[in-house]
Amino acid sequence: MKLKLIVRIFPVALFISLLSTPAFAQLSIVGEWAGRYHEDNTDRVPGDVQGDFTGVPINEAARRYAESYDVRRVNLLEHQCEPYNLPHIYRGPLQFRIWEEKDPATQEIIAYKIYIGTYQQYRTIWMDGRPHPPEYVPHTFMGFSTGQWNGDILTVKTTHIKKEFYRRSGIPSSDMTTVVEHYIRHGNLLSHVMIITDPVYLTEPYVNSEEFALMERGNQNWLYNCEYVVEVPMDMTKVPHYLPGKSPVLEDFSKKFGLPLAAVWGGAEATYPEFMTKFNAGTPPAPLRDTRPPPRTDTNEVHGEIETFHVQGNVYMLVGAGANIAVQIGDEGVLVVDNGVASMRDKVLAAIRKLSTKPIRWMVNTNGDLDHTGNNEAVSQAGQTVNGNPADIIAAEDVLARMTATNRSISERPLKTFFEESRDFSFNDEAVFLYHYPSAHTNGESFVYFRGSDVLVAGDTFLTTTYPVIETRFYGGLDGFIAGLNKMLSIAVPKYLQEGGTYIIPGHGRVSDEADLVEYRDMIVIIRDRIQDMVKRGLTLEQVKAARPSLDYDGRYGVESGARFVEAVYKILLEKNNKK
Amino acid sequence: MSGKITNFVAGIVALFATVSVLQAQQGRGAAPTPRAAAPVDLTGYWVSVVSEDWRLRIATPRKGDFESLPAFTADGRRVADSWDLEKDNAAGVQCKAFGVGGIVRQPGRLHITWQDDSTVKVDFDAGTQTRLLHFSPPAQPAGEKTWQGYSTAQWEGPGVGRGAAPARGQPANNAAPISPGGAGRGQRGGPAPSLGSLNQGGSLKVVTTNFREGYLRKNGAPYSESASITEYIHRLPSDPGSDTWLLVVTVVDDPKYLTQPFYTSTQFKLEADGSKWAPTPCRTAAPPK
Repeated sequence: MKLKLIVRIFPVALFISLLSTPAFAQLSIVGEWAGRYHEDNTDRVPGDVQGDFTGVPINEAARRYAESYDVRRVNLLEHQCEPYNLPHIYRGPLQFRIWEEKDPATQEIIAYKIYIGTYQQYRTIWMDGRPHPPEYVPHTFMGFSTGQWNGDILTVKTTHIKKEFYRRSGIPSSDMTTVVEHYIRHGNLLSHVMIITDPVYLTEPYVNSEEFALMERGNQNWLYNCEYVVEVPMDMTKVPHYLPGKSPVLEDFSKKFGLPLAAVWGGAEATYPEFMTKFNAGTPPAPLRDTRPPPRTDTNEVHGEIETFHVQGNVYMLVGAGANIAVQIGDEGVLVVDNGVASMRDKVLAAIRKLSTKPIRWMVNTNGDLDHTGNNEAVSQAGQTVNGNPADIIAAEDVLARMTATNRSISERPLKTFFEESRDFSFNDEAVFLYHYPSAHTNGESFVYFRGSDVLVAGDTFLTTTYPVIETRFYGGLDGFIAGLNKMLSIAVPKYLQEGGTYIIPGHGRVSDEADLVEYRDMIVIIRDRIQDMVKRGLTLEQVKAARPSLDYDGRYGVESGARFVEAVYKILLEKNNKK
Repeated sequence: MSGKITNFVAGIVALFATVSVLQAQQGRGAAPTPRAAAPVDLTGYWVSVVSEDWRLRIATPRKGDFESLPAFTADGRRVADSWDLEKDNAAGVQCKAFGVGGIVRQPGRLHITWQDDSTVKVDFDAGTQTRLLHFSPPAQPAGEKTWQGYSTAQWEGPGVGRGAAPARGQPANNAAPISPGGAGRGQRGGPAPSLGSLNQGGSLKVVTTNFREGYLRKNGAPYSESASITEYIHRLPSDPGSDTWLLVVTVVDDPKYLTQPFYTSTQFKLEADGSKWAPTPCRTAAPPK
């Protein structure tokens, strides 16, 4: 009987296997690879000369950023141990190790793992077809990568990359950058191609490639030491930068190599052969322009459904109800920070209940805006203090004053208010700190720090979607933003090499860490300083707007939002200046 | 029982015979021409995008500026230090920077076509140079040494040389018909294919010999006639709607003038047509003062 079965089945199986397409094994890219620096050596190994912007298809926003960049910014503690991000790290001196992670049952490759010796960076390239995560999850310096083989070429796509630079001379890369890589092996030579797309700072994809040689005997230089230290006595809340046009190092490169300054600023135009003719004729390139509309950010933050993201520890973030909502859960119950717009009431409550069925004991309002407090009443009523009352709502006193002034119902108002700079209590076995600072988005801003979970809930003092919004009608101001962000920076502790550690839930946008926070603080300080200089020089509001002091950030945070921010800052600084 | 075994063996024999016939029908037994066997379509107009070594490629670096190059041997240093642009021009060797070892790094365009079923033709508008990549080379390339030398080519990649089914006919991308909604080739009309379907990820390996001594860089960084020059030409997979890129990896191994092999990889972007094709004579601008 068994033989009969074999006789029938075997020829069929053999027939099918012979007819099927030959299965060729993939090339192996496993091993330890060391860079060869036969292109752009000065840029990649010792470091480029300041003012070298050649070969990168930058736009005028990138130019503004770069010409303002002062390398002393890396003296700031939060910047000292930042690694290069993905599009930059392969352009530095490096060696890396690649290995495979295989499914034990099928021996199929689930992922390639890469360890890069420079800055001790780990990458995972997922090969199992998983999708990229939603935008609101934290970005990292190496990003999130998925790959697929195309014949002998491994193609990798990476998103969720942190902001950094394309060059040490200050050419910025944004956190909206995506990278397509190709890994190509020929014998002991590995070619690596990067095609970088950055809607904020590039007008065209930026393409570069590098060669790596297989290290037969390995290498010992795999660790990177970095400790934060105050190297130069300085005010660590000041952000080194040059006012536009004032950089003393801007012409270093052009002077050193005898090249016209306009040519080394060429952007995409200067990377094509036609430019060589112009260059040889001494014709300057066309001014950098970016006629594309700025990239769209998600301004419609009220979604059909609420999405839940576990930030870390006891803290979750709810997305899609207006402002971000933080929910801390534990044995004692539930604490909710902000609660979204009223129209999402049922979905917000359902999302909280999915996380925990314990009573909602506490609520915190980081400010009095309707997109933060629209469900004060509903969530409070759904909760219960230990005395059986609706859940308590805590906020700075100014929030209560504002709600009273705007006739919000009594059951919506926070009745557990505080005047002092900070308040703390313990809930669900972790210390919860509230910090109040006036004169930011409004006069009633607070942020919350969950010490055990190591999560900050920033409210509208920190946004990843727009510039700061200064509500002067609610006594908002500029100093509170900077003070609040500096306070958060003093609390946040990143893991080694400036990533992760304390996570920050912004009022709007994606989960961040200290590296993101410090960029936002730097941006506010830099724009403030520029406008302050213009105010001192007696420029009118129209003149200030025409000078576009926020040009280098408009592609990221929005042109309209930038115009409003510039106007608000101008008025605040003008008033201060006039009082002197 | 023995009858069953006999039937089984007979079945196997018949099976192999059938498979052989089918494979022959698929062309697996026959040797396709190099053009028909191409795992990747390299044809078209390609423009160099100078995002690396910009000041060494767009401008002429000053004499003695050999950034990024491997160290020279004593002979190499002597030749490099003797570079004199005026003397080169007077001697009629302006094309030394446009020879096989340096042409790919010159800003310009490539026009890649099939001259015949076993020869790829690469025209360069910089310096108006032409290289022929021969799939069926003579045993010993003969004749006078030229700037571009004699190149032999072979396909590399999964399935290449194993009797794999040949790729379908590959007209130049820029010659593909415009057919909105129809079967385009991803460059001109029709829905663009998804990532990976544009090619099978193979590459063209090119080894060149019989060339004249020339320059790796415009400012006289030399390579000798005895150098080994190998290139790998790739068409990179791309997403629909995004640019299509050609990568040329060049390895110059020249023990006479260089202490180590010299590796570069150069990017070219596919253009829709030849409207920007602009042949120029071999000419090197003077370096900045």
